[in-house]
Amino acid sequence: MSETGLVPAPDVLPLPAPVPLLHALLLLTFFVHVLFMNGLLGGILLASWSRLRSRSPADAHALLAGQLTRLLPVLVAGTVTAGVAPLLFLQALYGQFFFTSSVIMAWPWFLVIPLVILAYYGTYVQSYAGARSGRGRTTLLCATAAIFAVVAFLYVNNTTLMLRPDRWGALYFAAPGGTNLNLGDATVWPRWLHMVLGAVAVAGLLVAWLGHIRSRSDAAQGALVRRHGLTAFTWLTTANILAGLWFFVALRRPVRMLMMGDSGHATGVFMLGILLAVAALGLAAGAKLRGGRGSLTVLTVVAGILLLAMILLRDVVRAAYLGDLYQPARFPLQTQVFNLALFAVLLAGGLLTVIWMLRRLRRAWTTAGSSG
Amino acid sequence: MNYPVWELALGGGPLIAIVSILHVVISHFAVGGGLWLVLTEVRANRRDDSELRDFVRSQARFFMLLTLVLGAITGVGIWFTIALVSPQAVSALIHGYLWGWAMEWVFFVVEIAAALVYYYGWSKLDRRTHETVGWIYFVAAFASLVIINGIITFMLTPGRWLESHAFWDGFFNPTYWPSLVLRTFAGFAAAGVFTLLTASTLARGAFRSRVTRYCAGWVFVSTLLVGAAALWYRAAFPAWGELSGGAVPILPGMATAFASGLAAMAVLALWPLLLPRTWNALGVVLLAAAVVGSFGAGEWVREAGRKPFTIRGYLYSTGVRVDQDAQLAADGVMAHTRWLNREVGHDRAAIGHELYRAHCQVCHTMDGYNGLRPSLAHWSEATIADLLPRLGSMRALMPPWHGDEYENACLTEYLLAEGRQGETAWPANRQTAGRLAWNLSCGLCHTVDGYRPLRGTLAGQSREELDELLDSAGELTPEMPPYTGGPRQREALLSHLVRIAGPVGTAATAAAAGAVRSTP
Repeated sequence: MSETGLVPAPDVLPLPAPVPLLHALLLLTFFVHVLFMNGLLGGILLASWSRLRSRSPADAHALLAGQLTRLLPVLVAGTVTAGVAPLLFLQALYGQFFFTSSVIMAWPWFLVIPLVILAYYGTYVQSYAGARSGRGRTTLLCATAAIFAVVAFLYVNNTTLMLRPDRWGALYFAAPGGTNLNLGDATVWPRWLHMVLGAVAVAGLLVAWLGHIRSRSDAAQGALVRRHGLTAFTWLTTANILAGLWFFVALRRPVRMLMMGDSGHATGVFMLGILLAVAALGLAAGAKLRGGRGSLTVLTVVAGILLLAMILLRDVVRAAYLGDLYQPARFPLQTQVFNLALFAVLLAGGLLTVIWMLRRLRRAWTTAGSSG
Repeated sequence: MNYPVWELALGGGPLIAIVSILHVVISHFAVGGGLWLVLTEVRANRRDDSELRDFVRSQARFFMLLTLVLGAITGVGIWFTIALVSPQAVSALIHGYLWGWAMEWVFFVVEIAAALVYYYGWSKLDRRTHETVGWIYFVAAFASLVIINGIITFMLTPGRWLESHAFWDGFFNPTYWPSLVLRTFAGFAAAGVFTLLTASTLARGAFRSRVTRYCAGWVFVSTLLVGAAALWYRAAFPAWGELSGGAVPILPGMATAFASGLAAMAVLALWPLLLPRTWNALGVVLLAAAVVGSFGAGEWVREAGRKPFTIRGYLYSTGVRVDQDAQLAADGVMAHTRWLNREVGHDRAAIGHELYRAHCQVCHTMDGYNGLRPSLAHWSEATIADLLPRLGSMRALMPPWHGDEYENACLTEYLLAEGRQGETAWPANRQTAGRLAWNLSCGLCHTVDGYRPLRGTLAGQSREELDELLDSAGELTPEMPPYTGGPRQREALLSHLVRIAGPVGTAATAAAAGAVRSTP
């Protein structure tokens, strides 16, 4: 069976909004998801590293681990909640590919659910433990971090397998019980590594901000934590340039060539990504020397744009791999204008409500902190 | 047909059931518990009752740990699981109700944020703001139910959507309102049950008794209201008469389990309501079992009542759309089945296996859930071949099967080979043997007294007349296959039919024979 023959036909029910709009929503909501996910995965890996390096419950490593672990449950909630929307838009646009790859690796994909439940409870245990450490808690923290890294690996397997209809038949018919992974695809490991290193780098930025906030109450320790965060950002971003290179050479040659001049859009985004990565390294070095909020803000904005560029590049790779197998122009379309407008109004109202609640909470915490 | 089928030894149904029963109980608690928290907090604030406030606070922590983690992730888990078992159905739901899901997501975001602010803001936020956050949580959680209820009930009763394909026609469908009311009260009942659970951990004393009685009141009143809403829901349920008569074998039992579970909840709630001081762990365990049993059975009734569809009247559980029936009947099944391993060549049993996996395995296993082997072991090649074209008329409400002659031969060969690996020993007990023989033949389409009943038509017939009836079974109606059971099975079946028929001559046999001819 040719790869074209196995790709399911698109749904006969019409999409309720134009493809470009759904595509934009997919990328936008995925960006938000990645922000939370980076904070979570990178944060828990950094917290584990800090806990392992800590020699006493009061040293900077222990305090940093305590600060990070207190944030973890909220970051899991944010990651899961923000992850629902892109998964929804992905299934609407790429269901033919995504549902199929999910079934082919059904058991590992299903395993994501119990793993996330376990790891989520693991973060609460850590959060309630606070700065208290001990060998048992450190082991639990590292195990929770490992579970999240495994979940990320399973996601990478599915998001790469959905792009490889040429591999579907052999995998499925050899093991229709859904025990497959996509390990035969050369991009899986570098893609996972690229994503994990990027997450830790972004979490380094989060640590730098935590240090900045801490410096208001404890200048010396705050500066130390900030420096730790920026060092992590610098090393991880440097390592990630190498991982990115590995990922790049693992891509199919025609896909690589798109970023090497065959496509203006792909080449532009790729070059922008490289430039922003180099700029971010320079800005991180500057922020380490200078201190202050401004340098950190500029670095964060540049890192945010870099992340967006990487997401766009990921989209370029997806389009290139699927090629003519993906024909969105042929999808039936019947825009549900009223429902779209209702969603927009609810989204605006919902976000305003969340912002209102968070501001009240922040004000209350600040007041409680200053009075306590 | 369009997507590959997950070959799951456990069966897709049980896996969905495991995830969804867990989620359904917690998600209803997430709605009702939200109202319980804020109402009880308001009550504690108005009365300046610090003990009650502390209890609400501890309940808020338990609530967050249960609903935000297990509740939310099993919710995503249902989505994952049904997409693995029925990808075509999820695709249809996402296309038709994308904006519904998106709106539900907005409420989910607000709900999660409000739950976190409610918990982390305890004793930090001023009381009025904290109560407002509690109300925001409840409104968002309830709005989430309002939307998801529209999509779940759409699958059971799509109503006018089948003609218009319009979002709101399917959303506000015939079972929407009764289901919403039922689920709302179920949420309140769940809130009472979970708070009774935490109340049982309090130190014994006046406060514990007061809280226990208060929570028991929630369970008792809400459970009675769930019962009333269930009657309304039943009235709107499609073809309830046929279903409760056994059109889907599992449904009457599940409906009874649902009703019994509710009755048990109401009765058990009387214990903490009347004797709060004696309320203990045993009561908690019994009440929890009643909740899980009734909620689980209720969801099972809804799922079973939808058979053989995932979206009633639009999409069969096999992933075939109703509007594809004619095409499949004309071209055969293989021409439209994408995920067949063509490398098996011309081996008929292997082709049959491919067809089985693509079209039967979504609902059946060989030895477990909806297991086929126990029946296949006793069926001959002729029996299987006769049944295949008639699957759409069977009692268990199966989708129609449109295999052509070659495809049927392949599938028969495969099923026969699987059956040979099964238990072929025939029961020594005459009654057991009779029931088995009935289940292997007449019972596939008929019941004795419920759906397509046979007692009336068999009543009064002699063994000889029944024997003749079996001989002419294949000539009665196109849906009736000829009787092809072997001598041992036939003998056991005749004995069973004689028991059903009762004393000879109690009904006009000619009229009875006529009636059976008109039974589909």
